Amino acid sequence: MMSETMQATTASSGRRAAPSALRRARAALCAEWIKLRSLRSMLVTPALAAVICIGYADFLCWRFTQRWHTFDAANKAGFNPLDTNFNVLVIGVLFFGVLGALVVTNEYGNGLIRTTLAATPQRGLILAAKTALVIPIALLSSAVICFAAFVTGQGILAGGHLPHVTLADPGVLGRVLGAIFYLTAASLIGLFIGVIARSAAVAMTCVFGVFLVLPTLFNSLQGGVWRHTVPYLPPNLGNALWLSHTGTGSLASPAVAALGLAAWVIVLGVLATCSLRRRDA
Amino acid sequence: MSAQAGTAPHASASLETRWRATARSEWIKFRSVRSGPAVLLATAVILPVTAWLLCGYYRNSWATMSPASKASFDPVFISLRGIEGAQLFVGALGVITATGEYTSGLIRSTFIATPQRAQVIAMKATIFAAVVWAWCTLLSFAAFFIGQALLSSPAKHAAIGDPGVLTAVFGGGLYLTAVGLLGLFIGVLLRRTPGALTALFGILLVLPVAVGLLGGNLGAQLAEFLPDGGGEEIFKLLHGGAYTLGPWQGFAVLAAWVAAAAAAAFLLVRRRDA
Repeated sequence: MMSETMQATTASSGRRAAPSALRRARAALCAEWIKLRSLRSMLVTPALAAVICIGYADFLCWRFTQRWHTFDAANKAGFNPLDTNFNVLVIGVLFFGVLGALVVTNEYGNGLIRTTLAATPQRGLILAAKTALVIPIALLSSAVICFAAFVTGQGILAGGHLPHVTLADPGVLGRVLGAIFYLTAASLIGLFIGVIARSAAVAMTCVFGVFLVLPTLFNSLQGGVWRHTVPYLPPNLGNALWLSHTGTGSLASPAVAALGLAAWVIVLGVLATCSLRRRDA
Repeated sequence: MSAQAGTAPHASASLETRWRATARSEWIKFRSVRSGPAVLLATAVILPVTAWLLCGYYRNSWATMSPASKASFDPVFISLRGIEGAQLFVGALGVITATGEYTSGLIRSTFIATPQRAQVIAMKATIFAAVVWAWCTLLSFAAFFIGQALLSSPAKHAAIGDPGVLTAVFGGGLYLTAVGLLGLFIGVLLRRTPGALTALFGILLVLPVAVGLLGGNLGAQLAEFLPDGGGEEIFKLLHGGAYTLGPWQGFAVLAAWVAAAAAAAFLLVRRRDA
């Protein structure tokens, strides 16, 4: 009798003090989902990315069908249907980086982050929940974009009687999946940069800096120490996943690129977790 | 009627007093933008470090470069290429200078205190431009001298007295100032930080890439009309491109973009709510 009441009181007080880890995780996920769902940029950014990427990829393919008769034999031999189709990802990746960054910097912008941290003091859990939600959103939208751009782009090339590929051709499916992996990884890199930066302006500047300016500045450097560093910049690793490897000798192999990109994501994730746990909001 | 006459001396301060008051309040606001010093520090790192990295690389690899790439090598442009990285930060500072007030709601107090909205924007732009120009010109000279010190004798290098060099080095500061002003006016237009930053970076960085993907003559021709492709002629010594724009012709392209953004900003800031 005594032990029973004791057990009951400890159980009830225990429940109030610390809910089970599973319930806490589910609550964090629900909270993050509500915030994400109500963020306008969560709809606008992927929609804009889809319109621009698919539209511009198709336009570029169409332009090649129009210019094909002006090409000499060397140009025709150097033509790669999938590279032409996916070149637009150099721009598309920015949408995904910004998407990830806005997930968290939006909260810092309006002060909601303080409520979030007060409601869930387990800050690592918050970041884990955000990551767990960004991954499927980015995966889904990048898969839609890549496959739609691929099907329509190759269709246009085929319609113009240009060389084209299908998913059944060797290596093609791998490169399309590689592109999807790159875009998803970019959104996570954006998310973690956002956590570290804590402001939309700084995070977006860093995303554009990493994915656009760094390669423009340093990709022309090839000798010595550069040969062992420049290919491992996130955008160069990502592009190595979908670019054909003909003629561009400074690209990492796809396996190395996938691992390297994953390593960037993990390192930035750890840095972001440390930053979120130690610094104020 | 008489009441209005009675308050008249109070209501309209002299133009000079009003300008001075606006200048002072805009200066205080600019000084207290939290990211200001960080941005200026970032440019102070990016410009010299990029000059050091790139010029060091080209000095070491000069012997192995092909005659064609030696001929097209522009020592001034290479030493100032850090501008392409620094423009991100300066442009973002321009955006924040404008949108920061909209985000915090301070803009409402500003416009109540100074109902002459165009005057507020003009003073904001003037103060921003003065500070950024002075700082970036200084850094442009620093990057140039660091770069030329590294590009020693076998490699092609330039002296400050060579024809066109002084224009190019001053041009570095002018280019960054213009980019910052473009960001500021886009910020006034869009009133929100993420949107304005996306628009600025889109025009400045994404459009050149998108146009480059077009290939052929069309791509090269369009590139010259973009703020980045046209504007950067001012810190180049060798001018290529579809139309071979000179330094000031190229800069005029960028200035036209800034002027267009400014005109839209001045027009709309008077009509819309804050």
